[in-house]
Amino acid sequence: MKVRDFLYKDFSIKNNSKLRKIKLSICGALLTFSFVIIGYKTISLASLNKVSTKNISSKKNQPSFFVKSNRGSIYDRNGELLATTIKVNSLNINPQEILNKNETIRKLKKIFPELNDESFRKKLNTQKRHLNLLREISPNEQVLLLEEGIEGIKIEPRNKRVYPNNNLVSHILGGTNIDGEGIAGIEKSLNKRLLNGKNVTVSIHKGIQHITEKILSEQIKKFEAEGGAGIVMNAKNGEIYAITSLPDYNANNYNSIFNQNLFNRATKGIYELGSTLKLITAAVAFESDRVNESDVFDVSTPLRVSSRTIRDFHPLNYRLNIPEVIVHSSNIGSAKIAEKFGTSIQLKYLKSLGLMDKLNLEIPELGTPQVRKDGKLLSTMTISYGHGIAITLSHLASATATIVNDGIQVKPTLLISNPNPLNDRIFSSETSKKMKSIMRLVVSSKHGTAKKAQATGYLVGGKTGTAEKISQTGGYSENQNIVAFTAAYPMNNPQFVISIMIDNPKGQKFSNGYRTAGWVAAPVIKKLVTRISPILNIRPQTKLSSDFSKELIKYKIRGKNKGANL
Amino acid sequence: MIRYPSFIIVFLIVFVAISLYQIKHFITQKELELAAINKKVIRAESDLNILKAELSFLKRPNRIEKIAKNKLYLKEISVIDIWNLQHLVEVTKSMAESEVK
Repeated sequence: MKVRDFLYKDFSIKNNSKLRKIKLSICGALLTFSFVIIGYKTISLASLNKVSTKNISSKKNQPSFFVKSNRGSIYDRNGELLATTIKVNSLNINPQEILNKNETIRKLKKIFPELNDESFRKKLNTQKRHLNLLREISPNEQVLLLEEGIEGIKIEPRNKRVYPNNNLVSHILGGTNIDGEGIAGIEKSLNKRLLNGKNVTVSIHKGIQHITEKILSEQIKKFEAEGGAGIVMNAKNGEIYAITSLPDYNANNYNSIFNQNLFNRATKGIYELGSTLKLITAAVAFESDRVNESDVFDVSTPLRVSSRTIRDFHPLNYRLNIPEVIVHSSNIGSAKIAEKFGTSIQLKYLKSLGLMDKLNLEIPELGTPQVRKDGKLLSTMTISYGHGIAITLSHLASATATIVNDGIQVKPTLLISNPNPLNDRIFSSETSKKMKSIMRLVVSSKHGTAKKAQATGYLVGGKTGTAEKISQTGGYSENQNIVAFTAAYPMNNPQFVISIMIDNPKGQKFSNGYRTAGWVAAPVIKKLVTRISPILNIRPQTKLSSDFSKELIKYKIRGKNKGANL
Repeated sequence: MIRYPSFIIVFLIVFVAISLYQIKHFITQKELELAAINKKVIRAESDLNILKAELSFLKRPNRIEKIAKNKLYLKEISVIDIWNLQHLVEVTKSMAESEVK
């Protein structure tokens, strides 16, 4: 039946079965439609999904200051809090609502005597409707304000980032701006994660960090140095347990500090770290087929290359083998070794050790190494003993760890990482064993340059480095040094690498005027090892050194006429 | 005269309408409760953060070190303070021997 016919039908006619059927089907359709809508609505209301609930609860019912989720906290490796966000009250004012300005000033001065009258009066006389008077008020001050009943004031909550440990790890934690966005350190590099309310656990050990900072700052004070840096790192997986740059600052005052204390000497500052680089030269020599282990190098006369003369601090009048070059820290010997394996091999290893690129550390303050890559023999020779190559202390720690970690690369990290990372092999296991033995001799041999790093009970090994500072007018400054020491322990199975750098120490009476790494940096290692080992569960060795013959090679080191050189 | 099927239909419509209202009311109540709980959780978290920060401030290593030294007269551990079982056996043996002598 057509619609038109239906409309013109006479509805008064009774017993029209066709018409009834139509009416019934229309009603049925309408009812079905209604039930479908009701059913749909019932089901949609009954099945609450989590997202919609969360949206409703967060958008409709939360007070304005909780709209954004709190920034995540930062914890150390033992779950100790390093940074968190708390709620504080700030004091705001609407000058247009104040009836008696003098009275308001008087009342506020009673509670906040430190308020400046003049600037406060200026603020009250503006046409603005919202002014921040104090960024933070105490609960006690809040009570007093409410008791006074001052018109026009508003106590509003806001989030504040706090660093309960003040100066501890301040360079690594970084800081946030007024809006709670990370602007430096971990706060910046992991900003997204923290903004989403997720917590971050760093590899730092609060206790070891404190000990490192304390011992290093005592030594800086003792030698009237400008500053320093120190790193304690796991030699197997590169987790950094402590990293300090001195002088430091209180992380709570990040936005109000504008001096050099903000500069991170451990990761951003690049320095010529002197003879510590000889470790790399020796390792490359052992690895290279151009140098034999039995080769000896004449160091009796200064070495003249181009316009420069390479000298030793205390010359020796016989031919040295590679271990002796390192233990006596001979610049001439090191230069001659480098000459033998050549520029391309040297640069290849520097590259593979990561000493020519920025480190891949989880903070933005990273220094880019500067390496003289002109391919000249002089550059190759000077780089071999740490001149003409400026790297960060973190680079040095990483390279040291690679050498002692059976030759497998160690990449420093500030986050808890995989305990057994699959990294590339840079040096052979045999080379690593030789290097560990030589590093141990630098400390244990009576002819070594780092006797003051000998910590009773612990097999410490390492290499000292003293380099003249680059002066601001160009060239090297004879009166200013950078001293460094890179160490690992226990040398039979290195667990930790410690690298120390002290900037411009002055010779002291008790040091007989010396300001070399052996006098300044080596004692720091001894103190550090003795203090941190019980915390790190590294037991003192009770066996005699001869019992380690399987793990370490016993090189014979010949003596010299005078004292130790650099 | 109201027929039987019509009565059922009317009853069903009324029943569904009331049920729908009840469900909606119940869910609105639950949403409010949830929001209040959520708000409490966030406040508690914020308070907890303050307590954690205070605790961390009190546990500052330099403060603990000062207290340990000045109040408890503790000293840093030296190598000779660390003993293992073998050491103890050796020491006990030597002490026993000296007593016998």
